[in-house]
Amino acid sequence: MATVLDIHHLSKKYGHLQALQGLSLQVEAGSIYGLLGPNGSGKTTTLGIVLDVIKPTSGSFSWFGSPVSKETKQRIGALLETPNFYPYLTARQNLQLVADIKGADKSNINRMLDMVALGTRSNTTFKGFSLGMKQRLALAAAMLNDPEVLVLDEPTNGLDPQGIAEVRDLILRIGAQGKTIILASHLLDEVEKVCTHMAVLRGGRLVSGGPVGDMLAANEQLVISAPELQPVLALLERLPYVAQFTPAKEGVALTLKEGYNSTNINRDMFAQGIVLSQLIVRRKSLEAQFMEIIKTTS
Amino acid sequence: MDLLRTEFRKIFPYRTFWAILGIYILLLLLVTSASSSVVVNGEVYGKTMYQFPQIWSRLAYIGSFFNVLLGILIIILVTDEFTFRTFRQQVIDGLSRGELVLAKFYVGLALATFCTLVLLVLGFVLGLLYSTDKSASAIFSQLDAVPYFFVQAVAYMALAMLFGFLIRKSGLAIIAFFVYTILVEPLIHYSLPDTVDKFFPVKVFASLTPRPGQALIDQITTPTEMLTPQWAVLPALAYSALLVSAAWLILKLRDL
Repeated sequence: MATVLDIHHLSKKYGHLQALQGLSLQVEAGSIYGLLGPNGSGKTTTLGIVLDVIKPTSGSFSWFGSPVSKETKQRIGALLETPNFYPYLTARQNLQLVADIKGADKSNINRMLDMVALGTRSNTTFKGFSLGMKQRLALAAAMLNDPEVLVLDEPTNGLDPQGIAEVRDLILRIGAQGKTIILASHLLDEVEKVCTHMAVLRGGRLVSGGPVGDMLAANEQLVISAPELQPVLALLERLPYVAQFTPAKEGVALTLKEGYNSTNINRDMFAQGIVLSQLIVRRKSLEAQFMEIIKTTS
Repeated sequence: MDLLRTEFRKIFPYRTFWAILGIYILLLLLVTSASSSVVVNGEVYGKTMYQFPQIWSRLAYIGSFFNVLLGILIIILVTDEFTFRTFRQQVIDGLSRGELVLAKFYVGLALATFCTLVLLVLGFVLGLLYSTDKSASAIFSQLDAVPYFFVQAVAYMALAMLFGFLIRKSGLAIIAFFVYTILVEPLIHYSLPDTVDKFFPVKVFASLTPRPGQALIDQITTPTEMLTPQWAVLPALAYSALLVSAAWLILKLRDL
């Protein structure tokens, strides 16, 4: 698969603050790539650099195999940090300016305004918009020339729950069209729901990365209980595919090694004459994993 | 030209833009019409003031005072883009930093053209009203004061642009622009011999529209050496190019 964005050893220093240190990552075509990290972890700095508005201290990056240029920019639609528009211009006038710069077709303006449900407010000035409307206008601007790649920095920031659901739905729809989406977010839930790949940043470093499915599967947790816990614990001790287990109030919490699942446990318990009264598969939420990843590296 | 069209789309619906341009024209009209109806020794001053061909250099001199307003207008247009973060968005969307600077310089050229045309129309109207000599040779013989005025307007806006790009905040940039043009540079002039300071930017710009009757004043006071308008054109254009390049360099070296 073609690499859309290749970041090589990128670093950025703001005075004494090392915002980014030696970040390398690749985004493949067609993926929805989540850039996850707490505030100040370097997400926006990374996106700012690859979008040509922040100068890297060292390192390099390329879009579609070439250095950043007018041509590469026209294949990308981006929204960085805040929606940036002229407050005294209407939604339509603002999009017209974006269309001028991107060389986008004028007819797209109405289509995009409708898509983000601002069609009826197209003649309202930007300063009269609510935060959610501003954010939606920025999405419309980013998608104005039907780009191959969308770069979205906290796209659901400031939206109400319905707006958040709409934006996520929109992202999934765009992703389904085979477009590549790079999404920065501090909302783990968002990345889990939307992304195919993710990179976790912390303190300007890449902490972990890969397909979201892999990162989730590796961390399934089971909770089992039985009328008699003693033989259960004794058996768990001997099973080779049990990674770890801890007795808890409601039973025993355990994680398995890769390639095994709850069926194995159930079968082996029954074979030893132990009847489980409870077997729960708990997919650890990304949030818990995320906290774990961050903790283990600090 | 696409750049200028996009700039027009930004500024035509902008009320602040029209307000400042309106003040510029209003002040120009007010000062010229007020000074034309002043009565000196029982004679309407307009009659002596607005004779062809001297009217052109007189109007250019009056107009030069208001070129500062054009500088303020440019500073506001530049710093607005920083405030709204639209420079940043435009670079993301595909413009280069050079194009951002160039677009604003084009706006400066367009504004200077517009104001020069206003001056030209004003000159014809006042001249035809008051001048006793209305022959073609009288009307056109000193018309070169008008293009000098144009160069000066462009040069002042180039200087203003640099302050806008450098400081990014409208209030501070306007103050810095004023302090430099009316305080810092004159103070430097004060400590330097005229042969050197006549090449300083603000003095060069001022040389383009010399005070009418300066020669007379020079006879009474110590004359200050200035370039003639003809000789000031090239340095003024060179300064403009230099200032615009400096603005571009600043933008290139900084994060947006």
